[in-house]
Amino acid sequence: MAADTSRIAIPAFGTKGKLWLGLLATVIVAGLAAWGYQLTTGLVATGMRNVFSWGLYIMMFVLFVGLSAGGLIISSAPKFFHSHRYEGFARLGVLVSLACITVAGLLILPDIGRPERLYQFFTSPDFRSPMVWDFGIVILYGVLNLWYLWLLTRRDLAARGSPLALGVDDTDAGRERDRTLMFWTAALALPTAVALHSVTGWIFATQIGRGDWFSPLVAPVFIAKALVSGLGLLLVVSVLADRLTNYEVDREELTSLGKILGVFLALHVVYLLAAERLPHAWANHFEFWAITSGFLIGESVYFWLWTVVGGAVPLVMLMIPSLRKRVSVIFTASLLAVFGTMFEGVRLVFTGYEVANIDLPPGISLGGEYAGITTDIWATAGAYTPTLVEVVVTLGIVAFGALIVTLGLKYVPIQRVDGQYATDGGTKERQ
Amino acid sequence: MTNYGLVIDQERCIGCQACAVSCKQENNVPMGQFWNRVLTEGGDKIDTPSGGYPDDGGSGSLDMQYQPTACQHCENAPCVKVCPVNATYTRDDGIVEIDYDKCIGCRYCMAACPYNARVFNWDEPEHMPEAGTGDVAARPQGVVEKCTFCSHRVDEGLDPACVVNCPADARIFGDLDDEGSTVSKYINEYETDQLLEDRGTNPKTHYISGEMSPGRPQTSDKMESELDDVSPWSDGAEDVPAEASESDSSGSGGSHHSIEGDAAPHVPAVGSGGDD
Repeated sequence: MAADTSRIAIPAFGTKGKLWLGLLATVIVAGLAAWGYQLTTGLVATGMRNVFSWGLYIMMFVLFVGLSAGGLIISSAPKFFHSHRYEGFARLGVLVSLACITVAGLLILPDIGRPERLYQFFTSPDFRSPMVWDFGIVILYGVLNLWYLWLLTRRDLAARGSPLALGVDDTDAGRERDRTLMFWTAALALPTAVALHSVTGWIFATQIGRGDWFSPLVAPVFIAKALVSGLGLLLVVSVLADRLTNYEVDREELTSLGKILGVFLALHVVYLLAAERLPHAWANHFEFWAITSGFLIGESVYFWLWTVVGGAVPLVMLMIPSLRKRVSVIFTASLLAVFGTMFEGVRLVFTGYEVANIDLPPGISLGGEYAGITTDIWATAGAYTPTLVEVVVTLGIVAFGALIVTLGLKYVPIQRVDGQYATDGGTKERQ
Repeated sequence: MTNYGLVIDQERCIGCQACAVSCKQENNVPMGQFWNRVLTEGGDKIDTPSGGYPDDGGSGSLDMQYQPTACQHCENAPCVKVCPVNATYTRDDGIVEIDYDKCIGCRYCMAACPYNARVFNWDEPEHMPEAGTGDVAARPQGVVEKCTFCSHRVDEGLDPACVVNCPADARIFGDLDDEGSTVSKYINEYETDQLLEDRGTNPKTHYISGEMSPGRPQTSDKMESELDDVSPWSDGAEDVPAEASESDSSGSGGSHHSIEGDAAPHVPAVGSGGDD
């Protein structure tokens, strides 16, 4: 096959590209240094203490697990149904998914008090623990993304003589067989994605000790959240890649995915949130307007950032027909959806730790200074502000994810330019 | 099977913090951390009541009680179920314990514990004096730690430090599976509660409120099961503080008014049977 069946988004890094790589490298090095500092001083370098014992790392873990959904689903769902819809997004989507699940997995490392003991997950696992389930599914999902990206691109890599083809030849028979493999990979990817987000939700939803965490709705909400934020991020990245690299986004597909994002937003931020809040508001209040306001009015700034800035505003933008065809509107709405979803995770962790079940004085010993909250070692409620160390470590890991996407655009043929899209397998159907 | 549990008589508790301090001392608990806390039920601050004085038309509703709180050693312990690496586990005798060599410091157990009974070593633990205190090795930075019912003492047939150091005899430790043990008898006889019962954790720590119990029925360091079977606190000389038995044997009729006698107010001055 000819090499022009595929396109590399970044043939070579120009000045801007090199500056971008330099920036990413700087942030990664800064993150590593901050993690090194945190390893020597201990987690006292974070804003976490005994009452509020999970913080930014877990909040961002929740976000990035969700973000890793979009790409894989957008590329595997059409393949599963033998459709060539959204083919232009397929490879980029899996690349973004791979980067996000890598970021999510890495975010756990700085949260662990003794990371050198992580091998205990293999030598002494307790299969009752949702964290063991999640550990397994995150690794499986990461490996699946890596395999899928390679499967989607290996014949094109071979055609280009890239060593990344790992010895695979570019043959017609091989391409034909890969279409079957893609179908079966897609068939595996969809339930794995559902499991990933459900299990991550169950880390919280199984806990009877942390307020609203204990809710059967958490897992479905995590799925909806993943659809919103994952698709949002894919749209953001594809528009950016379209503007900054040789990657070309299909306007029609972009508009169509923008509409789908609107549907996901309506399902997530309007329907599921309402379904979660109404029973509590109804049971806790008596007057009609008290029930109504209990239902509609959130308790914290995170709630508003999530539901209005990250929910209602992008939903309206995507609902108005004259607006939703504009690339700038789709881009802004997607960015807001991702931004808002970040605060959903923030809010989730806060609802678990803000209030102590037993808040009698003097309270709970904090195990370290708790600047700004109390002058002694006791606290009767949780409070949390991330420290600079946490922010820098997190940014370093996110920069590593951005580096994965950037290098993917450089070394992996991220777009097909021929017409043969549809997968084969499952049925004997041919194009 | 042995299944250790604790009864805390809130009617006897005087809020002196002796259990909290002796726990910290015995277990070498780092500065800034407590495994065992004596909480005040009442006002907003420690040792303050709720309500008002009955003067100037006040309600006269002053009310205060103490709630000593440590690991509840739940039967259905969420911390054990969430620990990904089996570092937190339930011993055969029911004590929930942590293997500090296994703990990876993920703090999922702290999220799981509804009682906030667990503490994490956020930095290199600091001890005062530096060499540490008590009979338990220091735990390193980056692991979670908590009350063990003084399992190192229990293994030697001794009651937990908080139990023997309670001057109000408000803490009774024993085998919940033994119907004859004082903990089992008190749970049957008195009105007892478990903390956050609605969470279904089924704690092995039971709180007596309402009617005051006779308290811990022995003065020894040892566990009830280690003492003689019959009326151990009246006939086993080795189980009674030497001074107390001396003052008893001296035949002084007013011995229970002496300081030595006051140290064990529930021990009858005469060598008759137990009180329950």
